Amino acid sequence: MSQAFDREWQLGELLDGPLLEQFGANLRTLLASELAISDAAGQTLWGIAPPDAQRLPLILELEPIGYLLGHASDSGRLTAARNLLQIQLRAQVRFRMASTLHLEAVAEDFESLRREHARLSESEARYKALSAELEERVRHQVAVLEERQQMLYQAEKLASVGQLAAGMAHEINNPLGFVRSNLSTFTKYLEKLGELKTALGEDLAAWQTLDLDFVLEDGVDLLQESAKGLERIARIVADLKSFSNVDRASEEFTDLNDCLQQAAGIVEKQLPAGINIQLDLLPLPRLICLPGHINQLFFNVIRNAMQAIQDAGRPGSIRISSEANEAGIAIRIRDDGIGMQPAQLERAFEPFYTTRPVGAGVGLGLSTARNIVLAHSGRITLDSQPDGGTTVSIFFPAPP
Amino acid sequence: MPESDPRHLTFKLVYYGPAQSGKTTNLLRLHDQLAPEMKGEVMTMETKDDRTLFFDLLPLGFRAPSGLLIKFRLFTVPGQVAHDGTRKAVLSRADGVVFVADADRAQETNNGESFQSLADNCARVGIDFSQLPLVVQFNKCDLPTATPESEVRERWASAPWPLVFSIALTGFGVEPTLATLLRSVYRRFADEYALASQHGLDEAAFVAGAMGQAA
Repeated sequence: MSQAFDREWQLGELLDGPLLEQFGANLRTLLASELAISDAAGQTLWGIAPPDAQRLPLILELEPIGYLLGHASDSGRLTAARNLLQIQLRAQVRFRMASTLHLEAVAEDFESLRREHARLSESEARYKALSAELEERVRHQVAVLEERQQMLYQAEKLASVGQLAAGMAHEINNPLGFVRSNLSTFTKYLEKLGELKTALGEDLAAWQTLDLDFVLEDGVDLLQESAKGLERIARIVADLKSFSNVDRASEEFTDLNDCLQQAAGIVEKQLPAGINIQLDLLPLPRLICLPGHINQLFFNVIRNAMQAIQDAGRPGSIRISSEANEAGIAIRIRDDGIGMQPAQLERAFEPFYTTRPVGAGVGLGLSTARNIVLAHSGRITLDSQPDGGTTVSIFFPAPP
Repeated sequence: MPESDPRHLTFKLVYYGPAQSGKTTNLLRLHDQLAPEMKGEVMTMETKDDRTLFFDLLPLGFRAPSGLLIKFRLFTVPGQVAHDGTRKAVLSRADGVVFVADADRAQETNNGESFQSLADNCARVGIDFSQLPLVVQFNKCDLPTATPESEVRERWASAPWPLVFSIALTGFGVEPTLATLLRSVYRRFADEYALASQHGLDEAAFVAGAMGQAA
């Protein structure tokens, strides 16, 4: 700590060359004789000591820090000169101590400011991190709320559509039943009309006038067509019923691979020539789900794939794969069929949206599929290129 | 650590305390009352409205039987809160501290804060507070509003530091305060600097030498 304000100051640092020169020269004039100033060790710093010089100590605190060597006609003069020099030295040391202390204090103050600044910066960083974390948490909560709301909205929508569908199915099934029965009876009546021709024998004039051969033939056709129409109505009603979840099953621990195999099995029975199904299933953990609904979901998607290949008018294959990781279960159903236009892709999940001719589909397949996936907290996405095939990806998250 | 070379041993003693508790008055009285072998003038640095801005310095000294010159440099710190940097710089390298508390009851908070700053600053300038020779002086104990001595003693009973009650204006208690500190300083450093074995100084002689009383 040689630079500290409270060190023992040396004469040489208090009176530098020019100051020594000024003092020495003036004192020499006052005393009218040669003189010298030396440091504590006796080393001369300025001047020339006259022979038979007196040596007077220069004291700052307790001990001499130097000496004035001189000779004066009366010793009072030399003492006065020493005192003057001493006063100057004390003024000098006060100034030096004060300025050095001031520097130390400023350095200290700066140091404490720096510490304070570091502390503040640290706390600022802490608060920034905290605020970012809070923001992130709020964002996450908002996302969760939005998702819940969306699910609730979907469920509400599904419930109201389902109610409507269930009501309609019930109302339609009744008349459908007696119309179908009536038509079947009427077919028998037509047969009886055919028997009439045999009964008439040779007298067929009136028969031919009324062209009853044609009536009979066409009547059978008409009835067959009507029966087909009724089939279609029945199928639509069945679709509507399954869409409305009327026959709600209970949840079970299920291997989704079993569901995939069942659904593929059903579709396979309807497969036209030139279309095949390939299964590439990896072991999956069991999932709590409604297996009836899951079957319906897979069936809808696989049937769509089949139809897409049929629409393309060429042979093709449906590839079904499944795999699992920590995040959940991923299932992909890919066809190399006709694919979808961007406009179709956009509306694919809308209920009652279909590109098929009237009667061939109600437009509930994918909509139902998505509702089932959402009800299991999953995700379903479509990836399709026109004439390039379609891939349906379904993901069920692992239970938390 | 005292500064030492073969012929000198210098102890730095610091009078610390809240503003206007009487640190400079202590030094001025000591200068008047003490008569050691060597005594310098009180060097007073810049003051403003009679308040210390930098420090005051009183040098004292005596020669041990061995010829070793023992010097004491008594410093005061500026008491005002704003001068903490200066206070810290003056406190650096102190070998002993007199904490001058203001006995006025209204000053209790200031005393507490100042004492805390003493402990904090010691840590910052590298002084081991638990090893530091320290005397607590309750000054102005003649004030009508002063906290009674019994109450102060009771409150400080569990603290390890000696208490001295003083009226620095009249000089009462000022010398005992320094004597008490000198005894602590002697005990702290006597072995390290072989004061008894090599320099022929026992505790009484050490105190007497600094104070200028017959040994």
